[in-house]
Amino acid sequence: MNLKFLILICNFTFCTLNFAFTCFAQDNDQLVSLSKRIIEADSSAGLYAPFEELKEFYFRDNRYNDFVNFLKSLGAKKKALAPFTQYYIALSRYTQLRYLEEKQGWDEYFAQGNAYRGELTAQAIAAVELTTSADALNLYARLLLWQLHHDQQDNFADESLLALMRAAEEYAKVNPDAAPIKAVADKLSSCAARENSSRLYKLYSEKLVSSGIKGELLNAIAADFFREGNLELAENLYDGYLARIAGDKDKAIPVLIDLARSFSYYIDEGPKDPFYAEKLFKKIEALGGKQVFDQELIYLRAFNLEKSKEYKQARELYGELARAYPDSAHYPEAIFKSGLISVYILGDIKEARAYFARLAGSEKEITPQAVAALYQLGLFSQWENDRAQARKYFNLLLEKAKEGYPETIALTRQRLQEIEGGVPLEYNLRVFLDLALAPGGAPAKEHKIDISASPFRAVKGARLEIGSNVYSAQTGCMQVELEYLWSGDLGSATPSPGQSSFYTSYNENGTKVIGLVVVSPAGFLDRNIGIIDIR
Amino acid sequence: MRKLILPLFFLTITFLGLSCHPRPRVYIKKLKNNHYQLIVDSKPYIVKGVCYNPIPIGKNYDYDWWSDPAKPWLADGKLMQGMGVNTIRVYQAGSDPQAVRKVVRDLYNLYRIRTIMGSWLGFWEYPCPLYGDRAFREKVKKEVLEMVNLYKDEPGVLFWTLGNENNYSCSGEVNPWSSDEIDKEPDPQKKRVMRFRTYYSFVNELAREIHQADPHHPVALGNGELKGLEFARESAPDVDLIACIIYRGKTFGNLFKSLRFSFDRPVMLAEFGADAFNAYLKKEDQNMQAFFLESQWRQIYGNLAGNPQGAGNCLGGTSFEWLDEWWKHNESSADGWSAHDTESNWQNSSYYFDSKEGTKNMNEEWFGIVSLSPETENGLHKRVPRKAYYVIREFWKNPVLKSKIKK
Repeated sequence: MNLKFLILICNFTFCTLNFAFTCFAQDNDQLVSLSKRIIEADSSAGLYAPFEELKEFYFRDNRYNDFVNFLKSLGAKKKALAPFTQYYIALSRYTQLRYLEEKQGWDEYFAQGNAYRGELTAQAIAAVELTTSADALNLYARLLLWQLHHDQQDNFADESLLALMRAAEEYAKVNPDAAPIKAVADKLSSCAARENSSRLYKLYSEKLVSSGIKGELLNAIAADFFREGNLELAENLYDGYLARIAGDKDKAIPVLIDLARSFSYYIDEGPKDPFYAEKLFKKIEALGGKQVFDQELIYLRAFNLEKSKEYKQARELYGELARAYPDSAHYPEAIFKSGLISVYILGDIKEARAYFARLAGSEKEITPQAVAALYQLGLFSQWENDRAQARKYFNLLLEKAKEGYPETIALTRQRLQEIEGGVPLEYNLRVFLDLALAPGGAPAKEHKIDISASPFRAVKGARLEIGSNVYSAQTGCMQVELEYLWSGDLGSATPSPGQSSFYTSYNENGTKVIGLVVVSPAGFLDRNIGIIDIR
Repeated sequence: MRKLILPLFFLTITFLGLSCHPRPRVYIKKLKNNHYQLIVDSKPYIVKGVCYNPIPIGKNYDYDWWSDPAKPWLADGKLMQGMGVNTIRVYQAGSDPQAVRKVVRDLYNLYRIRTIMGSWLGFWEYPCPLYGDRAFREKVKKEVLEMVNLYKDEPGVLFWTLGNENNYSCSGEVNPWSSDEIDKEPDPQKKRVMRFRTYYSFVNELAREIHQADPHHPVALGNGELKGLEFARESAPDVDLIACIIYRGKTFGNLFKSLRFSFDRPVMLAEFGADAFNAYLKKEDQNMQAFFLESQWRQIYGNLAGNPQGAGNCLGGTSFEWLDEWWKHNESSADGWSAHDTESNWQNSSYYFDSKEGTKNMNEEWFGIVSLSPETENGLHKRVPRKAYYVIREFWKNPVLKSKIKK
């Protein structure tokens, strides 16, 4: 029994050693082959690929010290490799420091951190000094220096960014290969240096567009970047493509419509840039005039503007839709949202009443928006203390809605109970209406709070996250306790005043409106609304 | 001989003039390159400090530690000296001048540790700090000048700091205050500006009077971040330096450069640091604290005078804080003062190891570089240095600065 066990152990050890040896041999072969390619390369252009492979070889197991040692021995063998070995030593130290921080390898971090930073800086500077602005390596070494200073947020960060941008522009003038410019732009973009990444993406796009590339290929590359979520680059390339086809109206307009739809808030999934979508809508209008816009396209544009909180323009377009297409399926939504924007954003209750009355008085089939309009009318009357009128609207609502709108019916019954009981409106709702409707209430143009919904359009029963952002004064470590007074169509949730966000779901279709008032110890901070669409 | 009389006369006058106006003991020197340096006893001085408020477990902010018979400053001073600390910052002097003198003297005579003396400027007075009210201002001024006159001759005093984060009250969100004149103004933005001007003018009034009473020590304006300093530039030209309270995580961002534009005064980081409790993992994390502190000190050194890459306007810092304070989480409940609470008190996403959106991650009771043990020794809770103690000690011994690309 013991012998069998011993044999088993020996076998296992042998297999393990054999495997390790095979791996080692393979690794060694790869290293030898890469070293050979590097040593034998007759130009610096031939060095980029093997050095990148070498980096991958060491980085995949986080063997940064081994990589640095290997680079040093390589540099000693052939002095001409210096800028490459220097750059990769610097890159290795940079990656190592980030790795140690991320993995919380504190002993090494604290013991060696300063030494690594020193080596990183010295080697990257040496690489810059040994190369010219025509070399991609010069750009990469400058990028590394900027990343270090940016991470440390030190005073050299601005200067190194300026030097990097200058070098990138110089490089673009003399080197036809645009890929390094994109690599730098990607890094700047990921580090939130948006203004500079935009400049470089533009530079990259210009180089690509002017390179004689075919239009369809340009369109395909742009689509790839769109799918990747690199919207800035996608937009630059689409602009280049659209400029090429602008002369052919029949071709350009369908392309523009397709693109506007993709970038707009109309599509639930995927990356979005509603402002670029609106730019495309303007191009459509400039090329084809208003007549190109059918009811669907007007609705799409209005919806995109509404979700990007360009409410005034959205209301204009909803109005245009309602005027031109009174039989459209979007008509009730357009009218109801015009009313909401009028009262809660623009502070015009009279105009809102007119919009809501149009829906409430409609003899056509009852719609979710008509029910909601009756509720809003009743609410205005109740807030104005006109109980009889409020009761009339609410009873009409109950009559028309029958059993079809359980959530709105529940809210309506709550309001009726308040009226019958002679008690004031529910506190949160009253505060919201006081601020939104009373003369001298919080100014609607200076919103300090923002409501977000994710997704902003959902199906019945789906879970939504409703969040808020508050832009308040800085108070250091003296945290200001804020109260969140949520009101309106809250669905299945009953958020407490301490909740800045909550999850909810809705059991009926239609346009839902959520009100929020944020209160700080100094008083009411502000109020805002969120509009959600349930299908 | 007669030709020599006139030059000799001028030389004598100059010499007498110089000896009548000796250099202050502590002053700020502006170098030719516009960098600032703190000079103490004729030598450049880097403030390597800590905020000091040694409240024992089971007590709260009311406790008069200055008169503590166990003399915590002796044990702490020795530990501080071992780390390399040369300065402590106190927020407000104790009520017994003899006791205060004893602390300042002991720390200086035994460990060469200097003291930055502070005043809250009535920030915590009930119902609120009425900086627009004449009687309130007079009362605070009297207290401040009393402090200056009591301790100005102590060799251990480094400088005076007026206020802490009092400027945040000008926005009206914390400790809000007003005046009849401010109340009359309907525009909230203008109200805010009026409060800043009122507050900083008051600080300036104090600075001017302190300079008259004590020409040997600079006066610092305690300020939360750089908030409102554009108004201080107009309203408080007599302050010598900014004592900035700042919690931005790993670094101070563009603070040093920004200050050059908003109010060109040297800056001492009067409060910064990190807590040692990981709110995400719900356990003590000394490495996290050490990581942030080391990074912050690196940036402080990068901006001292003489570093060509820095702004050159930093004089050093006093990190928050030397010891944990167990009373802070629930200050109104005496039961809580004996418990080391782990519930976070405020949120700051710059401290990214334990930051989760919408949740608090800063633990007020865990900011000490040195933790307190419930066990006592000679009447004091045992001091247990955290990792930051050793990491900063090593950094101060060998601060590494960067090099630059040749032009």
